[in-house]
Amino acid sequence: MIRLEAVNKIFNQGRPNEFCAVRDVTLDLYAEHATVLRGPSGSGKTTLLAMIGCLSRPTSGRIFLAEKNLSGLPERFMTEVRRKTFGFIFQRFNLIQGLNVLENVLLPAYPLAPDHAELQQRGMNLLEQFDMATKAHAKVEWLSGGEAQRAAICRALLNDPQILIADEPTANLDTHLAQEFMRNIGKLKAAGRTILLTSHDPMVAEADCVDRVITMRDGQIQEDRYVA
Amino acid sequence: MLLSPAILALIGVSITVTALLLLAAVFAVRVLRRWDIHSGSELQLQLERSTYLISTLVTFAIAAEVVALLLFVYNAEAMHTQFVGAMCATGALNANAWGWPALLLKIAVFFIGGIWLLVNRLDNQGYDYPLIRRKYALLLLLLPLVATSAVVQLIYFLELNPDVITSCCGSLFSADAQGVAAEMSSVAPRDAMFALYGSAVLVLGSGGFYLWRRRAAALFAASAAVAFPIALVAIISCIALYVYEHPHHHCPFCILKSGHSYIGYALYLPLFLATLFALGAGVVAPWRKIPSLAQAVSNDAPRYAALALVGFVLFYSIASLAILRSNLSMAGTWW
Repeated sequence: MIRLEAVNKIFNQGRPNEFCAVRDVTLDLYAEHATVLRGPSGSGKTTLLAMIGCLSRPTSGRIFLAEKNLSGLPERFMTEVRRKTFGFIFQRFNLIQGLNVLENVLLPAYPLAPDHAELQQRGMNLLEQFDMATKAHAKVEWLSGGEAQRAAICRALLNDPQILIADEPTANLDTHLAQEFMRNIGKLKAAGRTILLTSHDPMVAEADCVDRVITMRDGQIQEDRYVA
Repeated sequence: MLLSPAILALIGVSITVTALLLLAAVFAVRVLRRWDIHSGSELQLQLERSTYLISTLVTFAIAAEVVALLLFVYNAEAMHTQFVGAMCATGALNANAWGWPALLLKIAVFFIGGIWLLVNRLDNQGYDYPLIRRKYALLLLLLPLVATSAVVQLIYFLELNPDVITSCCGSLFSADAQGVAAEMSSVAPRDAMFALYGSAVLVLGSGGFYLWRRRAAALFAASAAVAFPIALVAIISCIALYVYEHPHHHCPFCILKSGHSYIGYALYLPLFLATLFALGAGVVAPWRKIPSLAQAVSNDAPRYAALALVGFVLFYSIASLAILRSNLSMAGTWW
């Protein structure tokens, strides 16, 4: 489904502080699989995930999504792919303070300007699905860690993305909340979504729903292991 | 004379645009030599990242040059009072040998630059840069034209001398004089009108047919390319005479004056824009067969054709009204 061919990412190229974050990564990622990229800080997993999710471009190499050349797309097309194909869950969830839960969940759809009543209904359906309907009009700063996590998942799912990307999603969660997060990820995978996670939390890599664990170090793939 | 704000603006625009196109030309050569969409090389990705920036800069540059044609004509009209013998822009353009070439080059830049803008707009709608080589090749053709236009315009302004007595439009656009202007003036009004309305039928018919059946865009563009010079000849040979209500005054610039309600702008703007859009429809339409452009072409080409038709209808309507409402009656002489 996603194919990476000799992907490199170099920051500050040609300067004294040049840094090669991803080196010559070639990889196939399959649909409806949950894949975990793990490795120590600075191993290149977040950079790789950002390139797959169209948040940045490689310095060289190609990334294909179902034969479509993602890394070569002009920016306006890349934005469209990013918006329609990928849902993002960030390490600190990045919920916008001052807005309520429903407003946060609806944010990714605003650039598409859909019918507002239909959009609100879509947002409420998602919140109900994750037992957050009663918190729809609560400010996000009032949410507990678990609620914030579920609000972030709802926001990532609003545009019905095919692929869900989560960068260190359990880094700020206790064990109970991390397990709950992985259970939710398992449900989303069972519903047919492709999941890409980065984490150095062993609990994520060992979760039942995970199909594949790719270990990175110094920007390169060190180990690529399928979980039975 | 160089301290006139309009002249400074025109020189500033032409130098800036030429400099920008020179920079873009270096990029264009790299694209033509090294572009390979199937490659994931660092150079290819650099070219992909840069092309949108370069084409955006060039778009603004060419758009400025397109608008500069209007300013050039307005300025020629405005500065005629500074030349002995000049009564309108014709005199100002005739003040030295470079005035008419400068105007003709500006018109050429208007059309070729305008077509580049439409091609670039289309290319930006394709996800796989389908016209990138063609549009940068066209840019390389445009550069010498823009540079020549800038140099000729600069020489024209530098060599303007208010002490030199220039010719007025009455002597240049006269059936008895020599040259292209005289030949255009000497075309019989009856023949010019037949040609004008014949070309109107051709261009409106072919444009309407294209909008109806989405076919024969090239015929529409070719019709517009024929209708444009015929319209200019008709203005000089006949329409202007009805505007001035004078059977021997053929000047195509005096109609830009306030005394004639600036009707010249109402004639030239729709005519030039309509011709550009018709040519654009003809240039854009054949690329509907490229899969990544099919939707964009099916949106843009009919839109350009519709804009062109509106422009031509406006031009022919205003030209006809100018004749019908004129107090000049040449029945029995011309008709």
